[in-house]
Amino acid sequence: MDRRAFLKTGGLFLVGTPCLGGLLVMSAPRTAAASGAGTRRWGMVIDLRRCPADCTACLDACRRENNVALHDDPRWDVHWIRKVTIARKHGKEERTRTVPLLCNHCDNPPCAQVCPVQATYKRADGIVIVDQHRCIGCRYCLIACPYNARFFNYKGGETWTNTGYPKRSHGVAESCHLCAHRLDEGRPPACVEACRARGTGALCVGDLDDPDSEIARLIADNSVKRLRDDLGTEPKVYYIGL
Amino acid sequence: MSDGTGTIGRLRTFVLVALPIVLILAPLGLSLYDHVFARDALEDGDAAPFLEFPAERDEGCVRDSAYMRFHHWELLREVRDQAMRHGVRGEISLDRCRTCHASRERFCNRCHEAVSLEPDCFGCHYYPASPTALTSDTAPAHGPGR
Amino acid sequence: MDIAYQPIEGRSRGYYLLLAILLTLVAGGVYATFTMIAHGLHLSGMTNRVPWGLQIVMAIFYIGLSAGSLVVSGLYGIFGKAEYRPFARIAAFLAMLFLIAGLLSIVTDQGRIDRVFVKPFAHFNATSMFSINPALYMGHVMICIFYLWALFKKKGRLTKPTSVIVVLWALGVHTGTGAIFAFTPRELYNTALLPPSFVAAALSSGAALMILVLVSLFKITRRHLDIALVIWLGRLLAVFIVVAMYVILIENAHRFYLIESREATSYYLFSGYHAVLFWGGLIGLGSVVPALLLFHRRRGSSVRWIVFASVLVVVGVLCERYLIVLPGLEHPPDLFPGWEIVGSVLDEGIVTYTVSVYEILQALGVMSFIGFIFVLGLKYLPLLPVEARAHGQSQMLKGMIARAVARRAARAQGVSATRL
Repeated sequence: MDRRAFLKTGGLFLVGTPCLGGLLVMSAPRTAAASGAGTRRWGMVIDLRRCPADCTACLDACRRENNVALHDDPRWDVHWIRKVTIARKHGKEERTRTVPLLCNHCDNPPCAQVCPVQATYKRADGIVIVDQHRCIGCRYCLIACPYNARFFNYKGGETWTNTGYPKRSHGVAESCHLCAHRLDEGRPPACVEACRARGTGALCVGDLDDPDSEIARLIADNSVKRLRDDLGTEPKVYYIGL
Repeated sequence: MSDGTGTIGRLRTFVLVALPIVLILAPLGLSLYDHVFARDALEDGDAAPFLEFPAERDEGCVRDSAYMRFHHWELLREVRDQAMRHGVRGEISLDRCRTCHASRERFCNRCHEAVSLEPDCFGCHYYPASPTALTSDTAPAHGPGR
Repeated sequence: MDIAYQPIEGRSRGYYLLLAILLTLVAGGVYATFTMIAHGLHLSGMTNRVPWGLQIVMAIFYIGLSAGSLVVSGLYGIFGKAEYRPFARIAAFLAMLFLIAGLLSIVTDQGRIDRVFVKPFAHFNATSMFSINPALYMGHVMICIFYLWALFKKKGRLTKPTSVIVVLWALGVHTGTGAIFAFTPRELYNTALLPPSFVAAALSSGAALMILVLVSLFKITRRHLDIALVIWLGRLLAVFIVVAMYVILIENAHRFYLIESREATSYYLFSGYHAVLFWGGLIGLGSVVPALLLFHRRRGSSVRWIVFASVLVVVGVLCERYLIVLPGLEHPPDLFPGWEIVGSVLDEGIVTYTVSVYEILQALGVMSFIGFIFVLGLKYLPLLPVEARAHGQSQMLKGMIARAVARRAARAQGVSATRL
């Protein structure tokens, strides 16, 4: 290679490498700086022993509070929280159980790992949330979530049950965010409030890092289980009685 | 091949002629379209569009008028990021704007339409066009709201 | 030895008709895209359980095709096979177009296309394959443009190192594309062999498509193409097929062997339409049959059979791309090991994905768009050599040609040619 060619090829790489490096430097940290959010770590405990099979209080409250879209079609319906009925695969046990499923707000969220614009991210207080202003609708987070807890708005929502909270237009992904807008103001999530109002008290949201909180005591005093512990996602939704 | 008659010469001529034409005509064409079809296009010397201010005017409610006229979107963006990314929710919110500026039609939309702007916000954030239409049925289903 | 490049005349009725058809299909794609922008992506066949569909399948198919084209283009620069120098330009041009098609397929698939041009760069996420890959793709397109420029300007000393860089970058691009799927915790995606198998299938599909493009172009423009060149490409394709088959078989044997993934792999390999796609499409018609044809002494030296084998390979790899994306989404994750979900408001079990008309229109539109640019390029750029002869043939090639000529002569005389 002669000198000109060397200079040209070398120049190309001299220009290209800082460009790539600049891109990497530009990437803001995925978890927001701890400011205002405090040092809390929000988690949830669901006591299946207290959860009646036919009750839909939390489901209705969540949908109403967050304007979650329903199109009467399981292909596109969005369910931030849903209940599934499970039965043992083998063995003679006839009894089925109902389990509420929602975003687990993992401490190692695969969805936040794969979001190309960092629209899905884990806040300093542990809540995994989607910035609807930034989401480009690539649906990679739906692919990466091992819990099928994320949804995409194929159609925009028609009804606006809670005008105090935005609804979503089509083209963005979403999932439960533990009613971050309520937690930020010191109110419990809609599902927890509805469950308590009904007298069931199967749901509890609190600060996992606070040893005196109700949730910490529930986890310490009971045999709790998380979904697919083996994956290493460190989910923060604990189930009693699963 | 540099005499302009070979294939590369033809291509070069084509690009050298077409590209500037496209690059110059495109923005001209787009702004012409805007001029023709934008309603009440704002030009130098024109009076600002009539904004219906609330009965009790609180100068400096959020910021002063001059700042709000030219920077309110930056303020909203900062408020949004603080709320979403850091969980810090303060005094400023669209709901609070709505308590005084109840009619988006006669306040916000006036300037937005004048400068041909369709902010994406109202497809998701509740801010009905007129205060009488407060039921959820009149909320736009998707896309930018008017 | 200088190669003369001559663009096609491009004034025949057939040429303009082709351009018109391609533009119509592009218009169809634009219509489908804008309809879905206005009304929502529910018009596609995708659902919350199957969030990726035909557009992503086509995107990775195109990206794979660009690899093989580049390898053919790099045959001259990297391996010093002088007889493939005539194809370097058209192969590099095609590779660039395929990558653009891949990017276009992905961009038109996004939920908010208005946000996809600035935000992925302003908020780059170094841990996301969907962030890294577009950067790799765009860098690749720029390098390809530079490579093409070097080829056009006949910068001999520049093209060789550039072709090395291009092929290495292409390797990175294809590994990254495989990593989009492999680096997620989905049962049927989560295998380290996915990026290598992606690269292998990319090489075979790209080489096959290059054979098809070259043979058809030289035939339509009535330019001379030495059989020996096609035969050698066919042998190269056969090697790629074998390597691809090897990786795919190991990948599936491993998945099937491990009990934790056996149920999912059984679904993937043995039930439903994708079993047909896998065994019939990918393995049978897409790999075994072409490999047998290409390694056969007689058939592997016949252009017609090589072309047929190439068509089978392209279809087989398309099946493989479909199998990379869809079964992993249709099969549900195992949320409660030991339990099964018997009731839910959603489809929690195995779902099926059905393509919708809008997605087909979009896919055809993207294909026609790059086809349009390619057809224009043939007319306005010196891409196609006047002729392609195999100079400096090896003894093996000389023997092959001699036998082919003798066979043709024998057939013309009505003598049995089976002994040749």
